[in-house]
Amino acid sequence: MTVATSRHDAPAPAEPAGVDNRLVVGGAALTWRSLPTPALPGPAAVLAHSAAHALTAARQHAVHGTELLLSTASRVDAAMRTELLEAGFTVSVLDDDGVHPSAPARPRAAEPGRLWLLTSGSTGRPKRVGHTLDTLTTVRVDQPGRTWLCPYAPGTYAWWQVVTLSLTQPGQHLVVVEPDELDDWPSVAAAHGVDAASGTPTFWRRTLYRDADALARVPLRQITLGGEPVDQAILDQLREVFPAARISWIYASSEVGASIVVHDGRAGFPVDWLDRETPGRPTLSVHDDELVVTSPYHGAGLAGPVRTGDRVQVLDGRVLITGRLDSDEINVGGSKVSAGVVRGVLAGHPAVAWARVTGRRAPVLGRMVVAEVVLVPAEPASADTGVPDEAALVRWCADRLSEHAVPRRIRVLTDIPVKETLKSDV
Amino acid sequence: MNELSRAQIRDLMAQVLKNQDKELPADDAAQLREIGFRSLDFSELALRVEDETGEELNFDAPGLRRIATVGDVLDFLVELQHQ
Repeated sequence: MTVATSRHDAPAPAEPAGVDNRLVVGGAALTWRSLPTPALPGPAAVLAHSAAHALTAARQHAVHGTELLLSTASRVDAAMRTELLEAGFTVSVLDDDGVHPSAPARPRAAEPGRLWLLTSGSTGRPKRVGHTLDTLTTVRVDQPGRTWLCPYAPGTYAWWQVVTLSLTQPGQHLVVVEPDELDDWPSVAAAHGVDAASGTPTFWRRTLYRDADALARVPLRQITLGGEPVDQAILDQLREVFPAARISWIYASSEVGASIVVHDGRAGFPVDWLDRETPGRPTLSVHDDELVVTSPYHGAGLAGPVRTGDRVQVLDGRVLITGRLDSDEINVGGSKVSAGVVRGVLAGHPAVAWARVTGRRAPVLGRMVVAEVVLVPAEPASADTGVPDEAALVRWCADRLSEHAVPRRIRVLTDIPVKETLKSDV
Repeated sequence: MNELSRAQIRDLMAQVLKNQDKELPADDAAQLREIGFRSLDFSELALRVEDETGEELNFDAPGLRRIATVGDVLDFLVELQHQ
């Protein structure tokens, strides 16, 4: 059954180019075309009950242009729900039984073609950023046929990146993992021939930590990292498991779109990319240690230079993105320390699988650098090298950092913490 | 409330120094400058006391004072636990 979705006429329904691409959801093989086509009253804020429902809403948007904000119930709290109803959205839960709409508090005409993203919230309260399928589609040249893993939460910028690729290009198939399958994704991916995967550094670290052998059985030819600062250690670890794969990292956000893509296997990007103006390409600059991006893929109302809130540091000819400006800098008795740089040093220790670096209140100096780490599971064969204790890790840092930057307290956690956005808040 | 004795704090102080291959003299009158115990080390020791007791120290309470010897450090941290 096909139902027109909007009172406000969208262009004549036309299926997207990728409509016959394969989708694997919850182990079941589908195509975009085989998804149900429920009527979504626009402007629609859809809270998808599962990955399949999120894909359903995305396809409906692609066909009918329904104004859409797509998310999950867990990412929209009561206050955000009220805000959406006030902003004219029909807030609809989409599940196996269909659409369960709540009428908007202030109805308004829909804006056909408009897509809304809720930013992930690492910048504070989630806010709405306006896009279209076109501004979300950053891969435009024909790609070799790939089967992509989609581990992201529905409706996030990263989710749309993978989804628009599959919607717009024939031969780009998707294997979607639900949050409860996340720890076991390599076996799902190997079973369905996933050869390309995109995830946060935390996602990759967790996978390497939990079962590197299972990961190695996934026939990956393309590995993509994004959403968090990418350090050299994680790139090197992935290269070791996948010597022949293309390993890329992407800097992208809801505000400025995908702005930096690096394929050379190194952290950061070459310093000569700064202030280079190429028509149709984002321009990158640095002001007061902050990355500033002028991007053609920006969100609505965000033309011109956008301060990203991300802190950068130039080291050995590379511009490294070290973390959020408001949390990356730790002031230790007047000495400024970058948490991201310290994290990179800790993550470079062969026995460290993951690290988080923060400032902790301390006498005399005001704040002191402290860290939490998760160690690589010990291999019996290398037992003689031993598991490093706190003092050994402190010495590792002391050999590589100025004395104020050395974390003096390092707590060992038993598992890598991760949020729904696949980030760790490192 | 979980409180550390002066001797326990002394053990923690010895640990801070030992991690840097330094030794804590038995004499409370030993000068911090001579044994190489500096403000970063003092801060680390305070964090170790907090971690042992599970309680936050109120660093602002006692006001400024001169801390020059091993005994000064121990007295100060014992006192801070009472604030």
